[in-house]
Amino acid sequence: MRSIGFIINPYAGMGGAVGLKGTDGCVDRARVLGATPVSPERAKRFLSSLPHYGVSFLTVAGIMGEDSLIREGFSDYKVVYTPTGDDTSSNDTELACLAMKEQSADLILFCGGDGTARDVYHAISQDIPILGVPAGVKIYSSVFATTPEAAATIVSTLVCGNFNTFADAEVLDVDEEQYRAGTLATRIYGVARIPYIPACCQCSKQVSFGDELHLQQDIARFICSIMRDDTLYLLGAGSTTRAIADQLHLPCTLLGIDAVCAGTLVASDLNEAGILDLLTRYDLVKIIVSPIGAQGFVLGRGNQQISSSVLKKTGINALIVVATPAKLQRTPYLYVDCGDDTLNQQFGDSILVICGDRMAQRKQLKH
Amino acid sequence: MQTKIILDENELPKKWYNIQADLLSPLDPPMHPQTKKPLEPADLEAIFPKELIRQEMSQDRYIDIPEEVRDILLLWRPSPLFRAHKLEKFLKTPAKIFYKYEGVSPPGSHKPNTAIAQTYYNMKEGIERIATETGAGQWGSSLAFATQLYGMECKVYMVRGSYDQKPYRKMMMQVWGAECVPSPSPDTNAGRAMLEKDPNTPGSLGIAISEAVEDAATHANTNYSLGSVLNHVCLHQTIIGQEAQKQLAMVDATADIVIGSAGGGSNFAGTAFPFVKDNIDKKSETDIIAVEPAACPTLTKGLYAYDYGDVAGLTPLLKMFTLGHDFIPPSIHAGGLRYHGMAPLVSKLHADKLITSTSVHQNEVFDAAVTFARTEGIIPAPEAAHAIRVVIDKALECKKTGEEKTILFNNSGHGHFDLSSYEAYFAGNLPDYEYPAELIAESLRHLPSL
Repeated sequence: MRSIGFIINPYAGMGGAVGLKGTDGCVDRARVLGATPVSPERAKRFLSSLPHYGVSFLTVAGIMGEDSLIREGFSDYKVVYTPTGDDTSSNDTELACLAMKEQSADLILFCGGDGTARDVYHAISQDIPILGVPAGVKIYSSVFATTPEAAATIVSTLVCGNFNTFADAEVLDVDEEQYRAGTLATRIYGVARIPYIPACCQCSKQVSFGDELHLQQDIARFICSIMRDDTLYLLGAGSTTRAIADQLHLPCTLLGIDAVCAGTLVASDLNEAGILDLLTRYDLVKIIVSPIGAQGFVLGRGNQQISSSVLKKTGINALIVVATPAKLQRTPYLYVDCGDDTLNQQFGDSILVICGDRMAQRKQLKH
Repeated sequence: MQTKIILDENELPKKWYNIQADLLSPLDPPMHPQTKKPLEPADLEAIFPKELIRQEMSQDRYIDIPEEVRDILLLWRPSPLFRAHKLEKFLKTPAKIFYKYEGVSPPGSHKPNTAIAQTYYNMKEGIERIATETGAGQWGSSLAFATQLYGMECKVYMVRGSYDQKPYRKMMMQVWGAECVPSPSPDTNAGRAMLEKDPNTPGSLGIAISEAVEDAATHANTNYSLGSVLNHVCLHQTIIGQEAQKQLAMVDATADIVIGSAGGGSNFAGTAFPFVKDNIDKKSETDIIAVEPAACPTLTKGLYAYDYGDVAGLTPLLKMFTLGHDFIPPSIHAGGLRYHGMAPLVSKLHADKLITSTSVHQNEVFDAAVTFARTEGIIPAPEAAHAIRVVIDKALECKKTGEEKTILFNNSGHGHFDLSSYEAYFAGNLPDYEYPAELIAESLRHLPSL
């Protein structure tokens, strides 16, 4: 019997329908504008696709979980947290997660958006795998299943015991204030663990790519084998690029941009100005990045320090994109958004992604 | 309109064609893996019978096929030559498409052409057991078939990725009395070392070769047998091209384009070498094209250099186009043809510009395979479908230009044991892998220096 933590952010997604680009901090405004809850419906789709056996829920009282479980006829659950106020908040999400961790949950499944993902990750980091049922206005983080039904498939597989594959997935921090003002400012908030089934709903006979960590190490070995001592390498954020730093036995920031040359860490957690300064000192530069987030942004989400100004100096051929085959499979298209549309177009309609030792995939690119 | 062009049994070639006699310059010699000096025949006697060593180095233009070998080849040879009328009609091409079909052999591919010969020479020299490697299982099942007919034992080290994905190939080997183990295995030093380094490795042909060579070198009654790459293997396969030439002559056709898929190179060699001879002799100007996967583009993106035939560096160093002996293409690459190097003879012809090469992605390969199956009926092995992809492309070019070119290719085997790959293709689960050639130039610095 698997123990699944189940949390609904009852307000997730409300801002979307009324044009608020997110609901963080403006639930009342959304209500005034006529918004109605979205996430209970998504939770219903998830629960109605889930078998009623083999799973025991740990949940939150009322609208944050228990109500939906009762409505869908689930009786095997335990309330581990009860919100104190009338309105629930991100603090309730975090406290509920901690209570679930205390009760040894095998997985925390949440129904919400990027804000909820950030709250869940903030509470439990990588201690417990997490999975999101997409219900928010913004779904940039890659911790979400593609649909509520896909989430149910993953959980079903997990409770059947046929499951041992987990993957790294970025939780993105999106500044909603700036987002509402028309600027999408993102950075990687953290890297969570998610249960991973390749193309979980497509085919009975799945293709197996092998262990994610092992594949990251393959990529790292290859990249290290082609590194030249006369070249500066900017390592982007994410666990695949971190594997490259690990292979070089260098500390790295994981969530920022680091610079490496001749096996030495030249600078870490660089901002755009820091990168531009380095470019005045190095003639040969390569930029190694991994697609980030559910949509697969090569540039423009989580690594906005690699700006159009930077790319104009290095040239777009300096870019080396790396990603594991599993990540590429769940990311059908890649995106480039470096802030300069003319430069974006120069990348063309496909991009080569290093996905193993001396192996790459050509992926369709959108701008 | 004749569809099947069938040779009488007495038309089965009596000699193999040895292209070494007609090369523009001699092959660079194989080198000893330790001394890095040219190999002596005696160096190979620990793992090969003397007659195969002689054939490996022979400069004789033709070599007799023993009656005992021809007798077994007659179980399925001469193989039919088909005119692909229905594919031509579907493509609306003026091109004439012919294909040899090697899927009629009991194991279902061209591989037994050499398995029978190699096993025969081992048997004649008193060897009781043969060790080998196999990738997709075509070679392993062919050698199991051959050793059973000659009453010998056989151990097959099968690349683990294929061992897990293709259970029926290993069942075939079992039916024919062979022992098949996943490679890397705990049975050899090379296998144990690889497992210690990476217990989850999907294996590779290079690792499996290391295991089989070690097995042969450490058992007195055992020899090693290789299903591709080596000169004598290419030699034994020339029976395909020789038959095709006779069959084309029966319908007054001459090939303008000859196309073969190329992994280690023996299927391509067997089809193409007799036609290369005609080009060298100025009797024809046939375009001869080797087709390889974009995931393992040895001829199109590799380096022409000395390299080991295996991962562990146990085999002699061969001058060939190579991607580096430690190169392991992803096991999810469904199209086969995953060897890091190319037969020295094929490499030499490519370096001398007597043949050309091209590479294709696996989704376009399966697209061609499905087109072929839906017109001609035969479900081709993914390996053979690489050739079919380029055949279709060439036929469509003819459609544009109006040229009535005659295209010959070798449909080297059926795909009945590759249906899981077809399933993955239909499900959209086959990524198009590609060799990052520009970055790779750096990684080839690992080649052994001579």
